[in-house]
Amino acid sequence: MTPSPVFLPLRELAALVRTRRVSPVALAEEFLERLERFGPRYNAVVTLTRDRALAEARRAEAEIAAGGWRGPLHGIPYGAKDLLATAGGIPTSWGAAPLRAQTFDVDATVIGRLQAAGAVLVAKLAMVELAGGGGYRQPRASFTGPGRSPWHEDAWSGGSSSGSASAVAAGLVPFALGSETWGSIVSPAANCGVSGLRPTLGRISRHGAMALSWSLDKIGPLGLTADDCGLVLEAIAGPDPLDPSAQDRPFRHEAKDPLDRRFRFGVLRAAVDAADADVRARFEEATEVLRTIGTLEDVTLPSLPYDAITRTILFAEAASALEGLVESGALAGLTAPEDRYTLYARDAILAKDYLKALRLRAVVAREADRLLAGLDAVVAPGRFAVAGRLDETFRSAFGGTVVDPTGAIGNAAGLPAVAVPDGFGERGLPTSLQFMGRAWGEGTILAAARAYQARTDWHRRHPAVG
Amino acid sequence: MTHPEAASEVDLLFALVRARYGHRLTPEELEGVRTSLAGIVDGVRALRAVPLENADGPLLPPLPDAPGAP
Repeated sequence: MTPSPVFLPLRELAALVRTRRVSPVALAEEFLERLERFGPRYNAVVTLTRDRALAEARRAEAEIAAGGWRGPLHGIPYGAKDLLATAGGIPTSWGAAPLRAQTFDVDATVIGRLQAAGAVLVAKLAMVELAGGGGYRQPRASFTGPGRSPWHEDAWSGGSSSGSASAVAAGLVPFALGSETWGSIVSPAANCGVSGLRPTLGRISRHGAMALSWSLDKIGPLGLTADDCGLVLEAIAGPDPLDPSAQDRPFRHEAKDPLDRRFRFGVLRAAVDAADADVRARFEEATEVLRTIGTLEDVTLPSLPYDAITRTILFAEAASALEGLVESGALAGLTAPEDRYTLYARDAILAKDYLKALRLRAVVAREADRLLAGLDAVVAPGRFAVAGRLDETFRSAFGGTVVDPTGAIGNAAGLPAVAVPDGFGERGLPTSLQFMGRAWGEGTILAAARAYQARTDWHRRHPAVG
Repeated sequence: MTHPEAASEVDLLFALVRARYGHRLTPEELEGVRTSLAGIVDGVRALRAVPLENADGPLLPPLPDAPGAP
């Protein structure tokens, strides 16, 4: 009997497709049906791309039948955060009501790369409006409604890649693309109990993606496992003449990692201490697993205003990147009240202060690399708390109400991180473990996360859906 | 308690924002702008407190390679 494709890791799903036990068209139809049926429950979907999906699936089916299997993503459905441009009249809303009818003539480079790999785009997924660039402080900052975690009807799916995380967690897509400027992949992955990879800055082209902060924005995959994230990364990484920031650093994901590989982990205690008690408890349990695959040591970094550095860069660049919306007055049409005025305040950041943040970022990058050069990864909770309630004003690092040294350092220095589920905390909601590595060190952190997932089963636990 | 210099800076920046965009914003939104500015000023004051050397330049994204350049 052919197993259900829902909640199958990509390698297993790919084997079914390659051996023609599952048809790409049937797969597309099944996930389109799940998106249509369950997507509204989680406010996960902006647009179903049914016509495009079925056309891509039919093409994949014909190619595979003719012996032209392209690789592990061929015929596999996926969803994309709705800040990635899609041609063919499919709207790209950036999560913002004033832009809900916005269209582009071309696909974002990452969408084109996945099409070249044979993947099938089934949906544009919900997100926080303007990727959080308006300064939102609560989950209702999206015109598609507050993203709900599939683990609890009153728990936020996280942001800003809200639908990318909840759709994967609920088995509405096998994998998804999200983006992170500061926390927008790692945090929703944690809230929804899935795996999420923030790549090195410059690893993946951002052509066709909404810009929030040119020097911080990264596009990355969310999936059920770290291995899934690696497979997707391999398909989308690489240089792009349309995005000069994308570097010629091809990434090759290992089919298997050596079982006896040993790792050296560092624990940034300040990041652990900033977490809630339930999250800390799960982290300490996770470290016991990590001791079976390597060593752990407490590490420190110089005392610097890490959060303020990253926040100032993000705020200043967002005010410029979103200048058109600021100057036109279109911010008044945003959903969250705070998003209608916060960008005006950021207009007043002085150039000298922005440059001081960029100068300090060089110090952060140097110190972080010095630390990571002697380690395989820094490990820390993926998020400081489990998902909050839908009506809560939340604590956030970029709002200045909680410190996030790992996120601030990792994003300022452009470092990769992969978050994987590591248990459950308050209200039965998922908690998360992140591995942050040296620039261009995705192979190492993915190997460590895969080794952790080979010894745990948190990634095989799924919420009750339907 | 907010430092007097910080409060003064917030007042000046708030006047700038109000002059440029005040016609679009409600009194409640303007108060939100002031609160946001207070957070921004707190942050940049923390940056200003860190000494750097003349040679400590900014970390910027890499420039594109120029095809055919030496």
